Amino acid sequence: MERENKDNKRKEGTTVGVDRKLNRTILHRTLFLLVTFGLLTFIPLFFRLWTIQIRDHELYQGKAISQQTRDNAVSANRGKILDVNGNVLASSGTVYDVILSPGDFKAVQENWDKKFKDDKGNILTEKRGYYPRPEADTVAAALAEILEVDYERLRAYFEKNTKYEQLTTRVEREVAQEIWQLISDMHLSNSVYTTPTTKRYYSYGSLASQVIGWVNPNLDNTGAYGMESMYEEELAGETGRVVTAKKGDGTEMKYSFQDYYDATDGNDLHLTIDTSIQYYCERILEKGVEMFDVQNGGFVIAMDPKTGAILAWANSPTYDLNDPWTVSDPVLAEYLETVRTELAEKGELTEEDKKKAYNTALGNAQNKQWRNKAISDSYEPGSTFKSIVLSIALEEGVVSEASTFYCPGYYVVDGSRISCWQKDGRHGTQTLTQAVQNSCNPAFMQIGQAVGAETFYDYLVNYGLLEPTGIDMQGESKRDPVPNLIWPRSTFTAGTTDQNTYLATASFGQGLQITPIQLINAISAVVNGGHLMQPYVMDSITDAEGNVVLQTEPTEVRQVISEETSERCRAILEKVVDGGTGKRAYVPGYRVGGKTGSSETLESRRGEDRTIVSFVGFAPADDPQIVTLVAFDKPQPVSKGSNYTANGYYISGGNMAGMLTGELMEDILEYMGVERVYTEEQQAFIDVTVPNVVGQVASVGIDAVKSAGFTVRTVGEGDTVTGQIPVGGAVIPSGSQVVLYLGEEKPADQVAIPSLWGKTAAQAQEILEKYGLYLRVSGSSRYMSANATVASQSIAWGTLVERGTVVECQFSDNSMIE
Amino acid sequence: MPKLKRDLTMEQQLSRGPMDLPFLMLVVMLTAIGVIMVFSASYATALHEGRSATYYFIRQAIFAVAGLAAMYIISKINYQHFRWMSVFILGLALVLLVAVLIPGVHTVRADHVKRWIRSIGPIPAFQPSEVAKLGVILYFSARMAKRETEKKRKFDLHTTQGRLLKKMDEIGLLELMPYGIILLIIIFLMYKEPHMSGTILILVPAAAILFAGGVKLGWFAAGGTVVVTLLTLIITQTSYMAARIKIWQDPWSDPRNDGFQIIQSLYAIGSGGLFGVGFGKSRQAQLFLPEAENDCIFSVACEELGLVGAGFILLLFAMLVLRGYWIALHARDRFGALLVVGIITLIAVQVFLNISVVTNFLPTTGISLPFFSYGGTALMIQLAEMGIILGVSRQAAPPKQG
Repeated sequence: MERENKDNKRKEGTTVGVDRKLNRTILHRTLFLLVTFGLLTFIPLFFRLWTIQIRDHELYQGKAISQQTRDNAVSANRGKILDVNGNVLASSGTVYDVILSPGDFKAVQENWDKKFKDDKGNILTEKRGYYPRPEADTVAAALAEILEVDYERLRAYFEKNTKYEQLTTRVEREVAQEIWQLISDMHLSNSVYTTPTTKRYYSYGSLASQVIGWVNPNLDNTGAYGMESMYEEELAGETGRVVTAKKGDGTEMKYSFQDYYDATDGNDLHLTIDTSIQYYCERILEKGVEMFDVQNGGFVIAMDPKTGAILAWANSPTYDLNDPWTVSDPVLAEYLETVRTELAEKGELTEEDKKKAYNTALGNAQNKQWRNKAISDSYEPGSTFKSIVLSIALEEGVVSEASTFYCPGYYVVDGSRISCWQKDGRHGTQTLTQAVQNSCNPAFMQIGQAVGAETFYDYLVNYGLLEPTGIDMQGESKRDPVPNLIWPRSTFTAGTTDQNTYLATASFGQGLQITPIQLINAISAVVNGGHLMQPYVMDSITDAEGNVVLQTEPTEVRQVISEETSERCRAILEKVVDGGTGKRAYVPGYRVGGKTGSSETLESRRGEDRTIVSFVGFAPADDPQIVTLVAFDKPQPVSKGSNYTANGYYISGGNMAGMLTGELMEDILEYMGVERVYTEEQQAFIDVTVPNVVGQVASVGIDAVKSAGFTVRTVGEGDTVTGQIPVGGAVIPSGSQVVLYLGEEKPADQVAIPSLWGKTAAQAQEILEKYGLYLRVSGSSRYMSANATVASQSIAWGTLVERGTVVECQFSDNSMIE
Repeated sequence: MPKLKRDLTMEQQLSRGPMDLPFLMLVVMLTAIGVIMVFSASYATALHEGRSATYYFIRQAIFAVAGLAAMYIISKINYQHFRWMSVFILGLALVLLVAVLIPGVHTVRADHVKRWIRSIGPIPAFQPSEVAKLGVILYFSARMAKRETEKKRKFDLHTTQGRLLKKMDEIGLLELMPYGIILLIIIFLMYKEPHMSGTILILVPAAAILFAGGVKLGWFAAGGTVVVTLLTLIITQTSYMAARIKIWQDPWSDPRNDGFQIIQSLYAIGSGGLFGVGFGKSRQAQLFLPEAENDCIFSVACEELGLVGAGFILLLFAMLVLRGYWIALHARDRFGALLVVGIITLIAVQVFLNISVVTNFLPTTGISLPFFSYGGTALMIQLAEMGIILGVSRQAAPPKQG
């Protein structure tokens, strides 16, 4: 500015002073601006950069990375669940959820506008790579068609301003492929996409549903019940991750970094459950519930007494694992229908309230079908418990097979009179075996007294009745000791009047509550040589390559009674089936032992009709390979207080559970390949198929029939068999007489069926033989005691039939029912 | 040819003096770094739009080369000519500011903002406010430079009007009237666009010229009070500004919409750390950061080059501004000084506001970063302005010997 000064001097010499002053002002003010804009303004900026880039670096970097990367979970394949023979019970497959991002859909449309519209809004159809604009209407319509869902509902999603709307869940791969095609055809980019997820398939539907359990797709496909939940960690495996870089529009950055963390597939679970035995058990359970009009369902447990392995575990009501929310059990479905009808009639309730009430009922029903009552519910075991008391008494030596007991129909404990179950009669004097056969309460009360409260309680502890069994199954109470179900030792052994009553009722299995698994496990120890085993369901765990990761070895908790006592117990309990209250469980050829039980319940003591009928069975009696517990909760009496169901079945453990146990045992033992061994007495009643020998040489035919187990009578003198009675293929008891005609004409006359009602088996056979007819005991062949008489016959009295016809007869024995 | 040289006038000789080399180097460096950053920040967007990756880069580079050429040519012009030109440039600016409001002249935008005059023939689209900035700076500095040479006005003290005018003259208000009227007209026209950030960028350099030119400080106090009052009113009374303030205080209060850009910018800057993620490796530029190649280009530079690189760029800007004021202090005459003050203040304010906004130091306004932000005409005009400063520097007094 020096030159300017000179210029100014030259121009206006008079104002030099003012000019100098002004120049100084300009100089100062420019310097001020220099400092302000050249230095001061940069200081806060640099400080801001330091704050953001250095001080908060990690915060912002973390947030940036989380939006710049896509962290996709790679779901591990869930392990399979298999039965003991390797049948697949549960397996997983990949399915897909279909997701719409309405926000991104709008972006897709905007991008299209950018690409194919000029400033004036003209559509550039000629532009390279042109395709029609993706419109919500067309896309929704196409999606609705593929997914088979409501168009209007789908269309509504497009109006939202969200980023994630699940259009449908778990579609199979074929559908997903159609979706992928649509995405590429319509250029939907990332606005519609699928996410893979897994679906659990249960090959046998409802089979062993409470044991297997199911995975809940609403809870990340984690196990909700049963083994699926119990072994969640093993089955689930470890989720992997793929981290990829993405752009701001959500698309993946190609050729950029990618990190893989491999998923580890879940392990396979091999159960001790045998699908076939499980099926037999469920069939029996269902049959019983229907036959006996059972209100609260029931359960059947089958286990290997030697190892503690659970072979089958059935609950009723049950459900389909593939559709766990649907209530299909007839009793529960009826209950729901009743609730629905009742609600419909209630005018004062709003629709909302009705819906709520119904959903509560539905929830209850679902819980009932899901819960594994045989492990989570306790009950008073009733007379089945006497098998345990028997073992205690024999082990302690307070009774022997030679002991006798007198039953006047009641027993007086410290002044109070406790009656026997047979209210209108008395058992009189009985041997130990008879007392067990009769399931006599007074006899057992005497036995209990003889054992004494302290010792008795010791055995309750030793049989594991005060602790969880430790079975690897969901639902067992982990509280140890189980509270309030069995008296504390101090109460039980105090020796006062009340306490003596406790001992007395405990001696016949009432007043104490245990779980079904505790009961069958204890009884298993009674018959297996005294070894209390830890029951288990998981046999082994294998990894995806099939290597065994974990193998359950049978674990003995403790020896409770001696081998010898166990053997004596088996012998006595076999007699229960062989002529005792459990005789309906008899299976010819198989030595089945067991004990009946009809449990009183809290309700029945209040005078309501709720009895739990049960039967614990084991076979073969000399070397038990299987123990079963069959129980039905609340068979409905025909009228209040009646002892009979509407179908005429007497409500008792022996009559109901015992009968079905026989059928079950026969199935199971046959399946297990246990050989039948018949006594001579039984031989007479074994059904054998008559061979067809017509046209054969006489001597050959006779030999064939004889070797099949029949006696032969020949008519005529020919060399060939020209006819036979009964015809080939007929099923008649072995030992029956088969008539072979050698040249003689087979008599074509007909005979009238005689009435057989009230006749014993031997009498009936004798009568039928006279007419040339044959007797067959209906159903599976059952041993008939001398007391069993014909209750019904397959062909009505007086019907004319050909000779050789087989008449099926049903026998019943009401001489001894519990 | 000595003959020619002898024939040159004194002024012509002066205008052939050497340019200020440090300033020239700073401009060239900033322009070069800026153009390179445009590539880094824009290639993802370009690819996404279906263009070549270098689309924006090449266009910016062409404008930079043309701009540098223009800068050189303008620096050769004797800046004294700008005294008379200033009236016409300001007049042209006002015409353009009016014209841009006419439908058909401005570009069509979804938000109905009328800031750009659409491209006609070879002339690219441009903002008349850019012309207005230059016009105001030129005219104000030309007028301020001759304030002491004007004759003292005589007032008829017999009339009230005369006495009032005399009073106004005494307190310096009268001389401010033309500046005030021009600014009010421009503010009004820019308000119609609307273009608040542009208005700020006209007002601050104008004020700097008046300030440096020696206008009494009281007027700045008064003007400052008015501006602060108005701003307070606008901020408290209009929901639009209140929302901006709220986002400024907490961008995460609306992370998807209003806070989105500033959050993305902070992510970018914060990701850089001390040394940055490396040139061309910005992840935030991968379609996360809106206007990565434009208003937010500095954020990309921060992410890629870290505090070291960003600090270096800041340093270059600071040195440019300091050297600019140094040139002003050494200008041959008052006009040259004020002219440089105006232009360099404009650059300084733009740098300050842009970086303040991307670092969330100040609430959001759409101000681009000189020499860096993508935009051909803006870069051309900035380089032309640098040419003016260089022109002034040619006539500056050489450093004293001894």
